Amino acid sequence: MEMQVETRMGDQLARYLDLATSEAKLTAANMANIDTPGYRAQGMDFEAEMRDAMAGVDQGRSQRPVRLKAVAGLIARPDGNNVSMDREGLNLAEAQLKFKVGVTLLRQENQMVLDAIHAADK
Amino acid sequence: MNLFAMMETSGGAMQAERMRAEVVAANMANAETTRTAAGGVYHRQHVVFAANAGDSGFADSMNAASGAVAAGTAGTLGTGTLVSGTLSPLTLNGTGAAAPGVHVAAVVEDPSPPLKRYDPGHPDAGADGYVSYPDINPLTEMVDLMGATRAYGLNSSAVQAEKGMISSALEIAKS
Repeated sequence: MEMQVETRMGDQLARYLDLATSEAKLTAANMANIDTPGYRAQGMDFEAEMRDAMAGVDQGRSQRPVRLKAVAGLIARPDGNNVSMDREGLNLAEAQLKFKVGVTLLRQENQMVLDAIHAADK
Repeated sequence: MNLFAMMETSGGAMQAERMRAEVVAANMANAETTRTAAGGVYHRQHVVFAANAGDSGFADSMNAASGAVAAGTAGTLGTGTLVSGTLSPLTLNGTGAAAPGVHVAAVVEDPSPPLKRYDPGHPDAGADGYVSYPDINPLTEMVDLMGATRAYGLNSSAVQAEKGMISSALEIAKS
């Protein structure tokens, strides 16, 4: 069997990490604008983006920018701002966990290659 | 993937919230100020936040414009350097997708008239014996300060989360 340094799984995990980062970034932007009059919370459809990214890996195309969409179902304050601190806090925790999962899986993926490299040391 | 852009967003928000807290502190410090560099009684100041534009070209010109606004309304304050726009507005270097940070668009003066208090012995008393004092309500200021503190803490916990993500990303290559 032939061993590859870069695997399909590795590419997929890289896209996954990208998306987790985008999600955390959006959350950070929403948090930053928690007191900006008229600001509307922005979100993304993680599943749809992930499906798109997986198709992208197989077709060998580069990642397209994340499509943003307004978050539905939030209550706007009198100044027109509809950022919810609870939602953003939860989202950030979720994005962090997703990122951690991605990192752990990617490490396992790389571990095999590293083991092969260090096999000669022993 | 740009984890540091995220930190810039949260860091910019912390900067903006800190400026808001500074303005509140200046208001409370000047609650009894009857003389300012511009002459006349001190007026309550407050900050106006604006989201950065997602497109960087537009964001740059917008930031330049708002910087001028902030500098224009500034400088009349007793505490000097505060409003003179040391805060550099956030610039966005994202790719296409907008992840707007926040910046202080302007520091505006409350136009409400000063409070009159009868004190003929005061050197700044008018001919009728009344002295003009700034219309500053400690309650309003304290609530504003609380809001600024909370938002600052929220963004700083976001920075903590981002730090965790960056350092875990460094773990990928470790064996």
